[in-house]
Amino acid sequence: MAQPGSIFCGSADHGLSRRGFLGAAGAATAGTFAADMTRLDGLKNPLLAGQVKRQQKSVILLWLAGGASQFETWDPKPGQSTGGPYSKIKTSANDVHISELLPKMAQRMNHTAIIRSINSKIGDHGGGASLMETGRVKDPGLIYPDIGAIAARELGRADSQVPDYVSMYTSTEGRRKGTSGFLGARYAPMFLSDKQIPDNMRRLEAISDVDHKDRAALRDLLSKRFTKARHSEKINSHTTAYSRVHGLMSSEKLFDIEQEPESVRAKYGPRQFAQQCLIARRLVEAGTPFVKVARAWWDSHGQNFETHRELCADLDHAMSTLLDDLEERGLLENTLVVTLGEFGRTPKINASLGRDHFANAWSCSLSGCGVRGGSFYGKTEPEGNTVADGEVGAAEVFATILEALGIDHEKEYMIGSRPIPLSDFGAKPIKEVLA
Amino acid sequence: MFRACLTVATTFLCAQVSLYATDLLPADQPMESVIDHYVDDLIKTNDVQTASQIDEHILIRRLTLDLAGRIPTTAELHAFVSADPATRRAKLVDKLLASPDFIDHHRNELQVLLEYPDRRNDKDFRNYLLWATEQNRPWNTMFRDMLAGDENDEYQKAALQFVRHRAKSLDDLTNDTAVLFFGVNVSCAKCHDHPLVEDWKQDHYYGMQSFFSRTFLTKKQSLGEKFYGDVKFTTTSGVEKQAQFMFLNGSVVKDDTPELDDDSRKKYDALVKKLQQDDKIEVSYPEFRPRERLVETASHKDNDAFLARNIVNRIWHRMTGRGIVDPPDQLHSENSPSHPELLDWLARDTVENGYDLKRLIRGIALSRIYSRSSEWNSAAAPPSPHYFAVAIPRPLSPRQYAMSLLVATRNPPHWEQWLTKPAEDWKKERTNLENATNNWDDAFEIPGENFQVAVDEALFFSNNNRIDNDLLRDSGDRLVGHLKKLDDPEAALSAAFEAVNSRQPTDDERKAIIEYLESRREDSPAAIKQVVWALLTGPELRFNH
Repeated sequence: MAQPGSIFCGSADHGLSRRGFLGAAGAATAGTFAADMTRLDGLKNPLLAGQVKRQQKSVILLWLAGGASQFETWDPKPGQSTGGPYSKIKTSANDVHISELLPKMAQRMNHTAIIRSINSKIGDHGGGASLMETGRVKDPGLIYPDIGAIAARELGRADSQVPDYVSMYTSTEGRRKGTSGFLGARYAPMFLSDKQIPDNMRRLEAISDVDHKDRAALRDLLSKRFTKARHSEKINSHTTAYSRVHGLMSSEKLFDIEQEPESVRAKYGPRQFAQQCLIARRLVEAGTPFVKVARAWWDSHGQNFETHRELCADLDHAMSTLLDDLEERGLLENTLVVTLGEFGRTPKINASLGRDHFANAWSCSLSGCGVRGGSFYGKTEPEGNTVADGEVGAAEVFATILEALGIDHEKEYMIGSRPIPLSDFGAKPIKEVLA
Repeated sequence: MFRACLTVATTFLCAQVSLYATDLLPADQPMESVIDHYVDDLIKTNDVQTASQIDEHILIRRLTLDLAGRIPTTAELHAFVSADPATRRAKLVDKLLASPDFIDHHRNELQVLLEYPDRRNDKDFRNYLLWATEQNRPWNTMFRDMLAGDENDEYQKAALQFVRHRAKSLDDLTNDTAVLFFGVNVSCAKCHDHPLVEDWKQDHYYGMQSFFSRTFLTKKQSLGEKFYGDVKFTTTSGVEKQAQFMFLNGSVVKDDTPELDDDSRKKYDALVKKLQQDDKIEVSYPEFRPRERLVETASHKDNDAFLARNIVNRIWHRMTGRGIVDPPDQLHSENSPSHPELLDWLARDTVENGYDLKRLIRGIALSRIYSRSSEWNSAAAPPSPHYFAVAIPRPLSPRQYAMSLLVATRNPPHWEQWLTKPAEDWKKERTNLENATNNWDDAFEIPGENFQVAVDEALFFSNNNRIDNDLLRDSGDRLVGHLKKLDDPEAALSAAFEAVNSRQPTDDERKAIIEYLESRREDSPAAIKQVVWALLTGPELRFNH
């Protein structure tokens, strides 16, 4: 790795001979850059990571794209006509039973809270996803930021040298990029589609390291003259974007799980969803406030039980490994792991042994940061057709996530003369599941 | 409380009626001097300092970006700098406004505005806007085309994409029309009377919505209108109300169709259903067509203040980076214009001159306030932007930036031929350039109130091979290729700065960069590339300053 003094040039000679032209511009950038590198290095070691008392809070959203069945996950109803073939099992939290398809999670429910009474009303994929991602119904003329952009904005550092909102998905369906809406492009997600590494993170081989750094320094020099007497947030965002480039490029290795010891990789195993969870853990450890890992495609209109047997096994393994790993590293108390999707699935089992879209009574889970582990909130009636107790909507789930992270959910962004609270007007967090 | 609101509403109506009756400067005074008069008046009253006027280099750059959608070529720069200072500015403005560049650029700007908040880049809509700007079609006519055009006319049909794209969401149709054509954001008034703005009641929101509620998309993707149907809404106190066809200033249109009996209703319902399912039948329309009535009402001389003020304010915002009413979708009594007389004068002028947007753009481009510097060198804090005392740096639109990158990276001598060639040839070249920007458009954010440069853009310029393979290619037709052939590093540096930043380097820049080039003498082609990269990615190119 380059030393701070020669950051603009791979060779010490070049660094010396061009010190004049680099001037103060180079030195300043090199300083912040070096600081972050130290941090990344330190965090490589799990013990060190544990010793550094982290204040930075993070979210890992496990997005169950297509809509997972609450019956086969967090709200089983064995023996009911709607219950399906699977039974429920005891968990490490007294009173809480979950589906037998999640045996590993059952042993870890002491970290997890379940919300079983979501009535979000919107039962189409696009509308439901947009609702759950932003915590409110789309409003004409306004594009709301999603939970990732809000977390990036509220928990991230403006000049962060690591990505602050990363979005990954697995299947070719249900790919939603996420949006920073009116918060602006600074908080837009870095989106990974078919690759494990974001676009444009790696220096082209045709350009030498020396040239790459020199031109950034030249740019800095020209930019300084231009910005000196011009006072503009928009220009500042340009400067910020370029100042983050080299830091982000160095964070490329965060996306490389080969950097992990064999023992850790073995725990996560060979499947993509779990490996992406490992990347998420690496990012969070380095200071990324929000990572979304989407697992698709839960939309089991046919063969619901086959589908869930496979997908739940994947979820159970990935999520429990992730929680263990976070806990072992002392990261769990500051990392909130959420399972959520656009909606749940119908109590009625259709002729193809499937369950259809259902937004009137479904579940999600929260684990780790700010969460009262082993708790659950709300109840559905015995067959799961409606919410029997503690009905909440998307806005309440949103407010709860924000509160768990210590973000004031009533804080307002001003858009023109219009105050927009972080969670929708009047939404209250669900205190019962918060620590 | 109710009485208080009523009073305010009435006052507001009066203000509307008196739009052109206030004591405004004479209508025949040149627009640029009227602009300077009103802006300087506020500056003097508040004893505000202003930034200096820009030099000829920044002036041609700013004008070419605003009127042609790109930076000037080196050839244009040299011609301008050596022209007669007394007349060159006005001549350039008129030349650019008559150029094919203006047509493309003005079209692009209108497209971004009218497709808000999405980014569809709809081809039919783009073609319509090109056709309309080619003939400088009056804005009120374009407004009619887009909201209530004739489906049987090729161009008006394309204009109706405005409605067609929003036809599935009544809220979008209502809100986007109010925002984009009238400068009014009534969406807050959907669920309750606007909490901060007395003007906007639920009556206004649902009144506006009534004009669209009968619109539907046929199977053939034509726009139909139903034969009956009213909007009902529930007030915050729980009372159900029927909305009227009401414009923003309270003007009400009556549906004078005789009340339909149940049988006719059923007949019409069946017809609408058929139109939605069968693409073979011809669309038939009712006598009473709410969208047409909205256009009539909004364009009527008693009500046209919204339409006129909004477009004036939008164009002003485009040219200066800030609206006289700011933000531009908040035109109401709680958000006063910074220069009410100026807004009124320009609105009156625009209406009286047939909604000629070119005329408006020309007037702003010739004003002294337009050519103020964006630099503020004083130790005191810069004055509030609403004085327009210092220019506001404006991020280039995706197409402006893409086009400027393409212009900057051609070898500069290439542009000399166009100074003498016939205009028709330039039109072809310009169209080619415009088409080439299609490949770059997506890489950049659209400027708006919350604009920020995305880190993706910086990463794209830093590591994407298109930058190296295209913009920085060292073949003879490119800037880098041209610079490589110049033996003298000083000359190369001057040429690079002129091509990208429309100016010579300062002494400090020259010294630092020559020092860099000297240190890289073992591989000077690579070094030149890095200098060009630094210029292309610098804020000086990224912003209109």
